[in-house]
Parts: sequence; C-alpha cells; structure tokens
Amino acid sequence: MALVLPPFCLLVFVIVVPAAQAVLSTLRVEQDGHVVYSLARYAQILHTVSLYRSVAFTLLVTLASAAATFVLAYTLALYLRFSQGRVSTLLGALFILPLFIPTVIASFAMVTFLQNHGFVATLLHYVGVEEMPPLVFNAVGIVLTEVWASIPFATLVLLAGLQGIDDALIDSARDVGAGAVRTFRAVILPLNAVATIITLSLLFVGILGSFTIPYLVGGNAPQMMSVVMTNYFSNYLRPDVSVAMAALSFGIAALAGAAYVVGVSRRERGVV
Amino acid sequence: MRNWRIIPRTIAVVAVVCVFALGLWGLPARGQMTAANLYISGDTNIQDMFNKDLLPLFERDTSVKTNMVFLSHGQGADAILAKIIAAKRAGQQTDVDFYETQPTYIAESASEGIWAQITKDNVPNSAKVDLQRPEVLVSQGFGLPYRGSSVVLAYNSKYITDPPKTYDEIIAWIKKNPGKFTYCDPQTCGSGQAFLYVALYKYANSADFTGLGYDANKEAAWRPALELLRSLKPAIYNNGFYPNGNVAVLQLLGRENIYMAPVWSDLGMSYLDQGLLPKSIKLVQVSPPFTGGDSAIAIPAHAMHQGAGMMFLNWLLTSKAQSIVVNKLAGYPGIQWKYMPQDMRDKFAGIATNFNPLPNAKYQADAKRLWQEQVAGSGQ
Amino acid sequence: MTAVASALRERVGGLLWFWSIGAFRRTLPWLFLAGLAVFILGPLLSLILWAFAGQWFYPALLPDEFSLKWWPVVFGNRSVVASIQNSLVTAPVVTLLSAVICLPAAYAFARFQFPGRRALLLSFLSANSFPKIGLYISIATLFYRLHLMTTYWGVVLIQLVGTLLFMIWIPAGTFRGINRSLEEAARDVGASGLRTFFQITLPIAMPGLLVAGLFAFLAAFDEAQGTLIVGSPNYITMPVMMYTLVLNYPQPVGAVFSILLTLPSLVLLLLAQRLLRQGYLAAGYTL
Repeated sequence: MALVLPPFCLLVFVIVVPAAQAVLSTLRVEQDGHVVYSLARYAQILHTVSLYRSVAFTLLVTLASAAATFVLAYTLALYLRFSQGRVSTLLGALFILPLFIPTVIASFAMVTFLQNHGFVATLLHYVGVEEMPPLVFNAVGIVLTEVWASIPFATLVLLAGLQGIDDALIDSARDVGAGAVRTFRAVILPLNAVATIITLSLLFVGILGSFTIPYLVGGNAPQMMSVVMTNYFSNYLRPDVSVAMAALSFGIAALAGAAYVVGVSRRERGVV
Repeated sequence: MRNWRIIPRTIAVVAVVCVFALGLWGLPARGQMTAANLYISGDTNIQDMFNKDLLPLFERDTSVKTNMVFLSHGQGADAILAKIIAAKRAGQQTDVDFYETQPTYIAESASEGIWAQITKDNVPNSAKVDLQRPEVLVSQGFGLPYRGSSVVLAYNSKYITDPPKTYDEIIAWIKKNPGKFTYCDPQTCGSGQAFLYVALYKYANSADFTGLGYDANKEAAWRPALELLRSLKPAIYNNGFYPNGNVAVLQLLGRENIYMAPVWSDLGMSYLDQGLLPKSIKLVQVSPPFTGGDSAIAIPAHAMHQGAGMMFLNWLLTSKAQSIVVNKLAGYPGIQWKYMPQDMRDKFAGIATNFNPLPNAKYQADAKRLWQEQVAGSGQ
Repeated sequence: MTAVASALRERVGGLLWFWSIGAFRRTLPWLFLAGLAVFILGPLLSLILWAFAGQWFYPALLPDEFSLKWWPVVFGNRSVVASIQNSLVTAPVVTLLSAVICLPAAYAFARFQFPGRRALLLSFLSANSFPKIGLYISIATLFYRLHLMTTYWGVVLIQLVGTLLFMIWIPAGTFRGINRSLEEAARDVGASGLRTFFQITLPIAMPGLLVAGLFAFLAAFDEAQGTLIVGSPNYITMPVMMYTLVLNYPQPVGAVFSILLTLPSLVLLLLAQRLLRQGYLAAGYTL
C-alpha cells in the first residue's frame, strides 16, 4: 500500500540498509589473503573471555531486571485495577513519573542517591549504620535503575490488559469459592496473557539494548554488551568487533521479538 | 465546511515551525562564514578559559571574530578529522581553521597532506616554542603546543603528612593504606591513563611506544606492569572501583572517600579555586613524572579562513596570552619559560617541571583494552 | 517430602495469621505506597537538593550552604544554552514530521489487510533494537555522502527514525479500535474518503494520537546516541550535553541541568496523565 511506503522507505534507508551493510562487513574475513564470508568473527567473540562474559552478564542483568520490573508492575497493576481510594490515586500518579524523566537524568539521580557517602549512605550514617553494601557501579545498580525506568511502561500495558477483564468474571470466581491466589492463577493470568507477553518481551528487548544506564551506573567489569561495543569502537579502535557485537545483540533481541509476535498472534487467533 | 480549514491550518503551522527552525539554524551558519572557526578539545576549564578570557580579549585586540566549537574530551574528534580529510579529498575548503587535539592524532592523518606547515613566516611567535617538545615531535612538526598540563598527584594533607615522591613510593603507600586510592578508568579520562602509561614505561622503554611505529609484539613487555596494577585491586578504593571520568575522582577526593589520586594539574587547581575541593588537598609532581602534553594545535592546509586561524595561533603564543593560560590552567606555557614574566616562573617552579610523552594512538588503544581485560577483570 | 511440606505450610500459615488482622491488611498498601515513593522520588529529591547546594560535603544530611550560584554557571555557558535551543527546535519538528509521514501508514495498517502486514509492522521495532553504535560507520558514511553530517536536518532525520515505532504502532491500534460502521455511515451519506478521515475518524482517534505524539516527542527529545553520531560536535542537544555535564562538571551543575531537561517532559506529564491510562498504549502494542 502506497500509504505505508514513506515511513518504511525511511526505515529501510536509514536503518535497514546500513545495518545490513554493517553485518555483511562483519562476515567478511581475511583468510590467506582472500576475503571470505564466514562466521569466524562471531566464533572469535564467543571464544574471547571478556566478550562472552559480557554477553552472559548482559543476559543475566536483562532477565533479572525484566523479572523484577514485571513482578513490581503486575502488583501495581493489580492494585490499581481492583482498588479505589486514596492509595490508588496516589500510586496512579506516582508510577508514571519515571516515564518523563530522561534516562541520563535517571542514571545520574540513582548514582547520587545510592553511591558511597551519597544521600542514602548519609541517612544510614545518622542512624548509626556505617556499612552499606555497594548499590551502584555494579549489576545491582543497573538492575535498580532499569527497574526504575521501566515501571511506567510495564504497568501501563499490564493495567490496560487487566482493565479488559470483566468484573463479572472475578465475581463469579469468588462466588465459586476461589481465593485471591486461585483467582489470580486461574482467571486473571490467562486472560491477561497478551499483555503479559507484550510486557515481558518488550522489557527484554529494551533493557538488552540500553546504553545510558549501564554506561553511567555500571561497574568496571563485567560490562554490558552496549558498553563493551562502544569501547571497542571509540577506545580500542576495533570497529569490526563492535559491529559484530551489535549484530549479536540484535540477534538476541530478534529472538525475543519473535517470541512476542508468536505469542501475540496465537492469542489473537484464539489458539491458547 | 469549517473543518476543512484544519488541513491548511496544520500545513501553515508546520511551515511556520520549519521556517523558524531553518531561520534559527541559518543564523549561526551565516555567522560562521565571516569568523575564524576554532575547534578546541579539552575539559570544561579549557572551555571556560576560552569563552571568558581568551576569545573576548583576542576579538578586542584584533577585531577578528571567532567562533569556537568545543569538543568535550575530544568527543567528536574523529568526525572532525574525517570532515577535514573528506574536504581535502574532494578538493574543497574546510570550515576548520584551527584544530586542537592530541599530537598523535595530528601525526596519524599527516600523510593525507591536510596540515599546513607552521613556520616563522606565517606564525612569527612559533619561534618562541621549543621545537624539541614532545608535542611538536610527535605531531611530525605540524602541531604546536599552546599549553602543557601534566597529571600530578593529589593528596589530602589532613591524612598524609609525607606524600610519596616516586612511582614506587605511591605503590607502597597504596598497599599500606587499602581503600584510599583510585584512578579513573583509563578509557574515560587522561589522569587514569597517565597512571597506566607510567606503569608501562616502568618496565618497558617509553621510546618504543611514543613514536609512529606500531608492533603488537612489543606489548609483551607490558605484562609485568599489568600484573602490578592487577595486584593492587584489593587495595584500590571499593575493592577495585575505577570511576568514570576525571571529575568523578576529584569528587571522591572532595568527599574524602579517597586520600590520594592522580589528577590533571589544571583541573585540580581550578577545583581548589572554586571550593569544590577542601583546602587540605595538595598537588605535587612525582618522579618520573606522569604523562602530559596531550594538546597541540594544527591548522588545515585548506582551511577557509586560514589567515585568521594563524593570526589567532600567533596571538595565543604571545607572553600576554600565555600568562592567562598558565594562570588559569596552572600548567606550563606552550612557549619556552624564558619568554614568560619572572613572577610566573617563580610561581610555578614546583609543579611545572616536566612530563612524560603519551604513547601513540594505536598503542593507547591496545593499552586501554588490555587494562580492561586484565586489570579491571573482564578476562582475557 | 510431605512432612516437610506440612511443616512449611504450618510455618507459612502462622505468618498468614497477620494477614487475617484487618489493621495489618489495611496498612500494607500504605507501606507499599511509601516504599514505592521512596524508590521513585528519592533519587529525584536528592538531585533537587544538589541543584541548590552551594557546598555539600559528607556527612552533612543537607547542603552546608544553600545557594543559587550554579544556575548562572549553567545559563552562562554558551554550549549549554545552545543545546537547550537545539533540543527545543528539533524535537517538536521531528514529532510533527513523524505524524505527517506515519499517520497515513498507521491508518493503512489498521484498515487494510495485506500480506506481510504483520512483518512490516514488526520491522519498525528494528529501528529501536539495533544498537546505534553498530551503525556508526554505515550511517556516518551515508550521511557524509548526503552532506547531512553535523547539520540540523541530519539530526532531525536520525531522531525521526527513532519515533517511527510509536507513531505507527499506537495510532494503528487506535484506528483499529474505531468502529468501521461509523466511517461507512459517513461514506454512505456521500462524504469523500479524506473528509471522513478528518471529520469522523481523526476526532475520535485524537486521544490515542496524542499518546503516540507524546511518546514520539519523548523519544525524539531523549535521543542521544544517534544525535551524538550525526550532530557532534557542532549540533548538540540536551541529552548529549547531559552526558558531558554529568561526567565532567561538578555535581550541582548536572543537577541544575537535570531540572531544566526534565521540565518540558513534566509539563507534558501534567497534560497527559489522564490520556495515558486509557489503554491506547496497550492497544498499539497488540499488533
């Protein structure tokens, strides 16, 4: 359809073609003076200790952040859906706030708040607690900040899904004598499956590719893939490795994206 | 019928915004045509010095307008170099009339023929510069230094009464006082790099790495240095935390999280002046000195306003401008000390003695990577 | 196993005794609210304090001296002011352009079924999931050839690409939710396609489109990676400037600029609060 062409052409021109070029360049390897197409570079990445550790670390942090955000967001969404009153209104205003704070600022704020001799440490010092476990410049800091930044989106989507569930269904479940947990497991969870899939997969893709938070809040080693990529490009003058890692990161994200599509289309077509 | 006006109205709004945007963008562009464009890298104290002191004074003295494009920490430097090279290859002029960057980057791109040769004829004051200075030599004679700052050792005199004077003494102090020393991640700042490079020079010959040649096999000589740095990990602040950037280290010093660290002499002095560091923090040079000399000016051969660029460089090398530079940055001048007023020479006798040159760009890249892998612990 | 299980159940059951006390149940939400408030507002509060701190050394709980001295430092800095101007001039233009290009496409996605529709929709996710640093060389080469490097329109272009996702998915979901019969009824009375769109569809879809516009604006406003590649060092926007300020300036300066950078977003927050909860976001993400 002609209407679809303008944005699609833009996408192809500015992202898809350069990405394809970049990936192709990573497949070109010099062997005995000839240029061959092979996955040698990727094999090399997976054999380099610092690089595969970084991949593993990235996956770990991403999964942990996504899980933590999901649990927190679902709790929030459930509360907002099924309760009225002051707490509900206040929570409603509160959880959206991080959406409007740019990630650079969020990272800076988190560091200022949680660092050694920072705000929280000073508070603890006043109640006599001197030792505080390091909460920034490590994986914990990255997870905390990612959760902070991802709560609004996750909650909004889950909440919308929950709002699509008829009150009558909940009431009838209660009439049959099901407790809160049982109702959640048997009624809410399945009916909200689409929103769940959307949230989990997009959380994963978003956190996997984030740069600012790991760069400002992360530690010296291990590092997330986005930071390593940038270092290989600007500091070590090895753009080929940088691009290969980018392609790898995109590949992992694409898997999550595929899960997203499959999940959503199956649900939509009614194939549970 | 009323609602049809939505379309032309929306178009009108969009058009107005676009014109407004183009206008705002167009104005500076037109301004650039008549002024000298100075591309300057460095930290924020350098930016302030140019903005507040040097540029207004120059414009008053010579009535030539200037326009500074500031590259914070050299960010965007590759884009500018690429721009200059692309213009040369296309046979066009470039809008970069004056470029400050690391001498080694000037040397790297010299083969493209993009730099003008600076001589006594086009820049008379260049005669005041010692042509044996590392910045001139490393940049293949195309770069001139207008300032020199060096990394020095900052320490908190409240807790340290007898500061280390040599590199070995620093290492010994670190081991005896665990958790009170760190240096910034060499991938993010020069002071951390200095600490790394001087360790490398301790065990290997610095001359091997500061010229133009590159041989990856020579890096095997770095092994003892990297092992030394790695062995320091438990004694480094927070069990091996290397912060991001020069300023982060200064902040740790200020909050008394650490008692000693390598810092840039100019940044340190300016923080002391602004009250961002307590007065108990002192700066001292060690022996052999940390690296420095990371700045040199080069003028593109095909610069659009080359005359203006050279005029500015010449003015910058007068003892008046150099006094401002030295005062503001607490470093050393680009011209030889004998051309500086006596009171300056006395004031900075202690700190501004000497510095070690930097390795060339390729070795720097490898050093940073090996540091990340072996010292920071990413694994190798 | 069952002995352990029953012992566990007993223990947990003991804890659940608390649950049966109404008072405890009633305070739990308040505790949750308090905890969340500390988590979300705490970091922002400490930042606000830093913006007004003349001097603040550990272990003072509040700044040793309050002062506005860092605000002139920020406003007096030419590059900082330039970056604010640049951001305010690029983001709205990008959002408008995005709307112009994407809304017709969103409508097509919503109303017409064609082969590859879902794949096409999904492809827009790629713009936001391929790390931009990996595209540095390719984009730089492309933009150099088009003379867009370090120019205003180059930055607009790269920011535009990042907003496509929001300007297509969310409106598509919104349009899909509008009952076709409304449009058909208008068509039956003789209204043309365009007229139906502007007088029937658009007004109903407006809330969802505003949500899309909001996300697109935020995406453009916060875009740092691409702008750094294309614009630096001549054309710097607020987020790019923020990196520099956070890393290279004293803490209070970063704090002051944070407040400035957040202000436009917060204004939007106040205006869009209600809109966000009406499910347009979720509708957009269900392809």
